[in-house]
Amino acid sequence: MAEFNVRADEVNVEQIMHQIRARIREKRGVDYTEEQIQELAKIKLEKFLDPRGLRSDLLEQFQRAAAKDLPPTYEFDDQTLIRSGNPLVAFIRRLLQPVLKLFFSPNPLVQALHYQTQINRYLLERAARDVLVYEVMHNLVVEMTRTGIEVKNMTMRVESIAGRLDFNERRARALEAVVQYKPEGREEHGAPRGGRGFAAEGQGGRGFAAEGASRGDQAGRASGAEGQGGAPSPRGDQGPSAVDPVTGGESLRSRRRRRRRGRRSGPGFTGEGRETRDEGRGTDEGRRTGDEGRRTGNEGPVENVLEHRSRGDDQEQRPAEANGQVEAASERASQPDTPTEAPASEPDQS
Amino acid sequence: MKVAVVVQRYGADINGGAELHARYIAEHLARHTEVEVLTTCARDYVTWRNELPAGVEKIGGVTVRRFPVARARDVHDFGRRSTAVFTRTHSLSDELAWLESEGPTSHALVKHVASAADSYDWFVFFSYRYYHAFHGVRAVASRAVLVPTAERDAAIGLAIFPPIFRGVRALMFNSFEERAMIQHVAGAGDLPGVVVGVGSDIPARPEPDRFRQQSGITGPFAIYVGRIDENKGCKELFEYFRRYARTMPGGLQLVLVGTAILPVPADPRIRHLGFLSDTEKFDAMAAADVLIMPSYYESLSMVALEAWGMGKPVLANGRCDVLKGQCLRSNAGLYYESYAEFADALYSIASSASLSQGLGRNGRAYFERHYAWPVIERKYLDVFSQLSARGASAAPAVEPLPGFFARRARTVPAAEDVLGRVPAGAVKP
Repeated sequence: MAEFNVRADEVNVEQIMHQIRARIREKRGVDYTEEQIQELAKIKLEKFLDPRGLRSDLLEQFQRAAAKDLPPTYEFDDQTLIRSGNPLVAFIRRLLQPVLKLFFSPNPLVQALHYQTQINRYLLERAARDVLVYEVMHNLVVEMTRTGIEVKNMTMRVESIAGRLDFNERRARALEAVVQYKPEGREEHGAPRGGRGFAAEGQGGRGFAAEGASRGDQAGRASGAEGQGGAPSPRGDQGPSAVDPVTGGESLRSRRRRRRRGRRSGPGFTGEGRETRDEGRGTDEGRRTGDEGRRTGNEGPVENVLEHRSRGDDQEQRPAEANGQVEAASERASQPDTPTEAPASEPDQS
Repeated sequence: MKVAVVVQRYGADINGGAELHARYIAEHLARHTEVEVLTTCARDYVTWRNELPAGVEKIGGVTVRRFPVARARDVHDFGRRSTAVFTRTHSLSDELAWLESEGPTSHALVKHVASAADSYDWFVFFSYRYYHAFHGVRAVASRAVLVPTAERDAAIGLAIFPPIFRGVRALMFNSFEERAMIQHVAGAGDLPGVVVGVGSDIPARPEPDRFRQQSGITGPFAIYVGRIDENKGCKELFEYFRRYARTMPGGLQLVLVGTAILPVPADPRIRHLGFLSDTEKFDAMAAADVLIMPSYYESLSMVALEAWGMGKPVLANGRCDVLKGQCLRSNAGLYYESYAEFADALYSIASSASLSQGLGRNGRAYFERHYAWPVIERKYLDVFSQLSARGASAAPAVEPLPGFFARRARTVPAAEDVLGRVPAGAVKP
């Protein structure tokens, strides 16, 4: 049901009642009250059935049958022919009956007429039943009319409910979308945005988490308010100073560092772990991460391949893990005494 | 100026619509002029038994003279005669016998009115359909002002009443619908009179919280105030509300205030509080979200006016022309003629605060414009002064009753047939 939103000087009762009635009509179709249904039931069948719509003369026949006055019937038995109100006449007839039988045989005639009375009675009963059938048919038509109305009403109601359901679903989705904003809000308070990007980067090798943390800290500090509420950058929210405008995002320093890593430790992951340990030294987290890096490095080149393949894509594929790292990084970034190295503060674009 | 208010019953504890109306008018006119009430010793409107002592007493500062009723009503005789005059062709004599049977047959009251006619400037008769009004108006037509309190029922179609409507000096109508109906029945173009109605002493500061505390009712509710009777539409109200409550769980409750003649259904959403004092009644109405008035026949509905006076919206039975007309003229109430309309209108009022408040504000303004006591009192006093200015010579004479044989001619149509020809519908503003 719709709601009204009106001011006192705008209230027009007649108009509101028109709206209410229009809404009822729209919702229910043609609405019949119980009195109207009863009235319909009293109306003759022809009011419901359009004779032109009938393929046979059914209605006409029914009307004719209903209109006909039933003929009177009679009783006929073996005594009917000789019965009389006068007992003397009746006695003489009975006396002369054997003489009559000399001229013709009255028994078949009596029998036939007796059967005829039975047939007549049956037909009369049937005619009476026809009236009942007419009545039943009439009631059926009324019930069908009522059912039709109800079906129409139900259809309207189902449509109405479907509409409401659809609306509620959309509303629920909208509310869910609103709820999803909450974790972001928490991050904004707890960690600079740079942290997100580093954590995601650190997914390939866990040793990068510490690096990410310290870098996040540095990036947050370096970029000032950018980490608190500035416009989010498309990838990892790195500060603008960290992006090489020539290479389109990859800083010279980081490329140089990668080359250095490659020279020192080959294609394996061990060197990177060691590098990570070095970069994270001075903090317990860094040492732990370094150890993890060593363990990861011992796992051999398979991990390295994976790391190289999925470093960028995994940000999308493992958001929960990334979030966990973000939180870890945030916690670390919020520790003011954590010493960090200046190079590590530079975001790694690789 | 001395005014006599003539009414069938009178008392502080008599709360019938017309009787309460008469008491309010008498008490308020008494502030401006000398008023005496002439009434019977009856308390019960069904039997008219003499229950109160005859003589003079003071009620609310107004002198009340009571006269005994000659005989109590024979309910079966009255029912038989009602059927005869309402549904069959009959004679004027039958109608007069019906009037005697209806009562309250107080010859002493009519005799006093006739004999003391010169002692009063104006006689204000209440309720056209009773014995005292018919014979009283005939006795003092030149000083008679009639407050018909007519409803759309078969009695208005009786042939004995049009001469009364045409014979009084002025008619004080309760509504425009009543005026249209009486003008049609009386066959006179413009009867002298004015649409007045009645006011109500609404407390300035009702206490809805006190009511909620006392009754233990929490949450929003709709209220019905009045006799809980099938004739008042309560059966239909119960049926509709229970249906509504099933489809709207957790919504409005229905609170009933008044004496129950019809059994109140056992439903957790319906609460019957019985008869309440005026203070409690107004507290309850102030706490309510909406007043429901389900009656089919009302000449005014004071309760609806009181609700409007308190800024509450009203949901009325649209099959009652007067209630529907009041809703349309005031823009302060919705009405229903079917369950669907009842449910939709009630939901609209309950769910839309702006609509509810808008209707309430309009209701308060309508009440103050037309039904505040100063307005009502002024209308009565103006009518008296205008009639006095015209003098007694301007008074129309009441047509005498036909002769012996003409009275017995069975040519008067059934009252219901006459009523059927009276145009129905609300008078739009």
